[in-house]
Amino acid sequence: MSNYTENELAQELENQEYKFGFITDIESDTVPIGLNEDIIRLISTKKNEPSWLLDYRLKAFTIWNNMTEPEWAHVHYQKPDFQAIAYYSAPKQTKKYESWDDVDPELKETMKKLGISMEEQQRLTGVAVDFVMDSVSVATSFKAKLSELGIIFCSFSDAVQEYPELVQKYMGTVVPHTDNFYAALNSAVFTDGSFCYIPKGVRCPMELSTYFRINAGGTGQFERTLVIADEGSYVSYLEGCTAPQRDENQLHAAVVELIALQDAEIKYSTVQNWYPGDKEGKGGVFNFVTKRGICETNAKISWTQVETGSAVTWKYPSCILKGDNSIGEFYSVAVTNNFQQADTGTKMIHLGKNTKSTIISKGISAGNSQNSYRGLVQIQKGAQNARNFSQCDSLLMTDHCGAHTFPYIECKNPSAKIEHEATTSKIGEDQLFYCMQRGISEEKAISLIVNGYCKEVLNQLPMEFAVEAQKLLAISLEGSVG
Amino acid sequence: METKLDNKLENFCADLQAKPSRIPSDLQAEAQNYMLDKDFPTTKSERFKYTRLAKLSNTTFNTTQALALAELEAHCILNNAYTIYFNNEQVFLPNDLPLGVTICPIAESQTHYHEASFNDVFSALNVLYAQHGVSIKINAHCALDKPIQLIQVNSGGKHFYRHHFEFGENSEASIYIVSKSIAATHSFAHTHFQYEIAKSARIKISKIQDCSTGHFHFTEDRAKQDAQSHFEINTITLDGSFVRNDSVVKIEGQHAQTYLNGAYWLKEEQHVANYTTMDHKVANCESFETYKGVASDRSTAVFNGKVFVRKDAQKTNAYQSNANVLLSDHASINSKPELEIYADDVKCSHGSTTGQLDETALFYLRARGLSEASAKNLLLQAFMEDVLTYIKEEEALNYIHERIASRFNWNY
Repeated sequence: MSNYTENELAQELENQEYKFGFITDIESDTVPIGLNEDIIRLISTKKNEPSWLLDYRLKAFTIWNNMTEPEWAHVHYQKPDFQAIAYYSAPKQTKKYESWDDVDPELKETMKKLGISMEEQQRLTGVAVDFVMDSVSVATSFKAKLSELGIIFCSFSDAVQEYPELVQKYMGTVVPHTDNFYAALNSAVFTDGSFCYIPKGVRCPMELSTYFRINAGGTGQFERTLVIADEGSYVSYLEGCTAPQRDENQLHAAVVELIALQDAEIKYSTVQNWYPGDKEGKGGVFNFVTKRGICETNAKISWTQVETGSAVTWKYPSCILKGDNSIGEFYSVAVTNNFQQADTGTKMIHLGKNTKSTIISKGISAGNSQNSYRGLVQIQKGAQNARNFSQCDSLLMTDHCGAHTFPYIECKNPSAKIEHEATTSKIGEDQLFYCMQRGISEEKAISLIVNGYCKEVLNQLPMEFAVEAQKLLAISLEGSVG
Repeated sequence: METKLDNKLENFCADLQAKPSRIPSDLQAEAQNYMLDKDFPTTKSERFKYTRLAKLSNTTFNTTQALALAELEAHCILNNAYTIYFNNEQVFLPNDLPLGVTICPIAESQTHYHEASFNDVFSALNVLYAQHGVSIKINAHCALDKPIQLIQVNSGGKHFYRHHFEFGENSEASIYIVSKSIAATHSFAHTHFQYEIAKSARIKISKIQDCSTGHFHFTEDRAKQDAQSHFEINTITLDGSFVRNDSVVKIEGQHAQTYLNGAYWLKEEQHVANYTTMDHKVANCESFETYKGVASDRSTAVFNGKVFVRKDAQKTNAYQSNANVLLSDHASINSKPELEIYADDVKCSHGSTTGQLDETALFYLRARGLSEASAKNLLLQAFMEDVLTYIKEEEALNYIHERIASRFNWNY
């Protein structure tokens, strides 16, 4: 091991095959492929939706029809054919499970392979999991315990049936259906997702969590997540995803809306590990996600993401700091390998007085991948004493990959303080030397350095999730993260 | 019935006249091609996101007036320099040029042209409509004893100019480019500067932009740098209601060094945009960028810096920084420092800050008896000094300080 070099590490990364590639053999109920008003009506009927939601979908569809796919991102890919996708796929059994034992053993097996066995999670971590497998939620745990506190945590379709007034009031207020191409598409065809409501003054006693997984071939996934933290409440929400190996590109266009009312706090953590394509860059998931949160007075939203998967990522979790003294945070580790392309970052829109935002972004590129940070910090006229700190670091592992930074800084208030800094480098020879001089093998040293490099972000993850994140980082960069 | 769409670009070009020029026909053809179906860029296009051209398309320009040499001489900044006066079609050349330096109107020179690189429609228009300019050639191993000063006075009309510079191997020169315009005149000038820097040349370009309100000032720098050369562009924007600078430097030989610096003081409705592209094509080079600015009243400042490190440019060191002080509620600062890196063994960093003056520093000065205004001015001056240290000629430095002091009422 003593002669393990960075080149070998890079080599190993390239040879790394996707470890979560398998397809669960459950009969799916899929609508015909293609996209038109009838399909949307069909999805809506299948889900037994109220008419206002169907109207919303159709409105979004009309707008989407007049939009063109954005091209400004620093990614190149074969544009998906939106008429060749099946927009609805639900596991056949529609009956709800009463208890965990009723769950199809094959589903359990799937989760086991993902390393997120629900039994284990239930027993060990007390995490309530809303497991989304191809668009329909099949199992929800800890529901009773949560409902004691008045917390609503259910699938989006259940929320539409049971709490239509809440959904109608908040849906589309942060990410309107006109927002962008993929958000409009999602608004038209979204199938399921998660809904969460924390009542006034309640501190959610456990981490809420969903796991998404693309399963049936040729189906796009269009989740919608809506998290509402009422006045003075707190919630930590975890979202994790792994997808099975597939050859054709799959499309994932989700919308996540966070609403933090006065004095509320939302912590939203993501571990993303969709199938990144093979060594030649064939296949892989297109991840075009719109995530945005709005903070009222004294509220706080914190985004933490560990991005290791997807062939193409286009994702900018953002915060609108509307209320005075509100805080937005963004912590990100993005790892790209082989032919992966990531264009990710955040937007911090400062509207209120004394608003604060922090951006820490760590990019690691290996193989032939391209990793970009794209961020906007905007201080509006009324944002007195706004404060922003951004730091974007990139680590380059090979000489075929690229690391790019595109920060936008727009300031309209003289009392604002904005700092942005970015560095790009490879693992320092001196750092390696320092470790090896103290008897640490080269492999361990590289692992130590990469680990330390990401620590700032990994520290932000909830305990239960940090393990998962480390696992995924290790899979993406095996040999470097111990 | 014929319907005609209002194409602002066509309107803008309507009264421009293309006369035969020495610009190669293939370059002109490329420009023609580039212009096809183009209109004035709007704020939707990335490079004009923060620049509104409505004013430009609505302005009626004054007719060009030719100025007498005596009038031009009033704009001189350096007394001890080889001075070229340039006003529309007129060029007044110095008659005391040392050996190894050739200066002539561009129409009479044998200069060659770089391949096309159009960043916007104005770039292409320049190729189609530029007729005047100067060509400056400095022979190999020639080290100039004093700076060359190019004074360009804009006096009405819409004009495109080209100035070409060729610096021979191991040559050394400092060039001052002073842009002025006569007061209360609506004019437009787009000036293209082409620099060819041979091996081991040490070249310093200092652009002092001191135009008046009503003048639209566009400049673009296109430089190619060979091995071991040192090249510097300092862009000092003192005045001018509309200024856009676009500098592109390509490093084509190893161990070359580039400095791009800029300073801008904005007030009233001024709009100043600085675009830079640092293109590292080969290994072992360094580049440093420092842009600093102050924005007050209703002004807008834009900085967009891009550092490219190509695949073969290993061991590149590239640094970029942009710092701004915002002095008014209505002014705005837009900064976009970009890095695009395709090589792994590099050290690149950029930083951008926007804020106001340090409270503790202000307190320190106030405690020592300075008035609030003086303390602020002193700190602002110190803030900009990072960039001004690159201006070595005392006369130029004095001129800059005086102009700033009088524009902003800085008295001590």
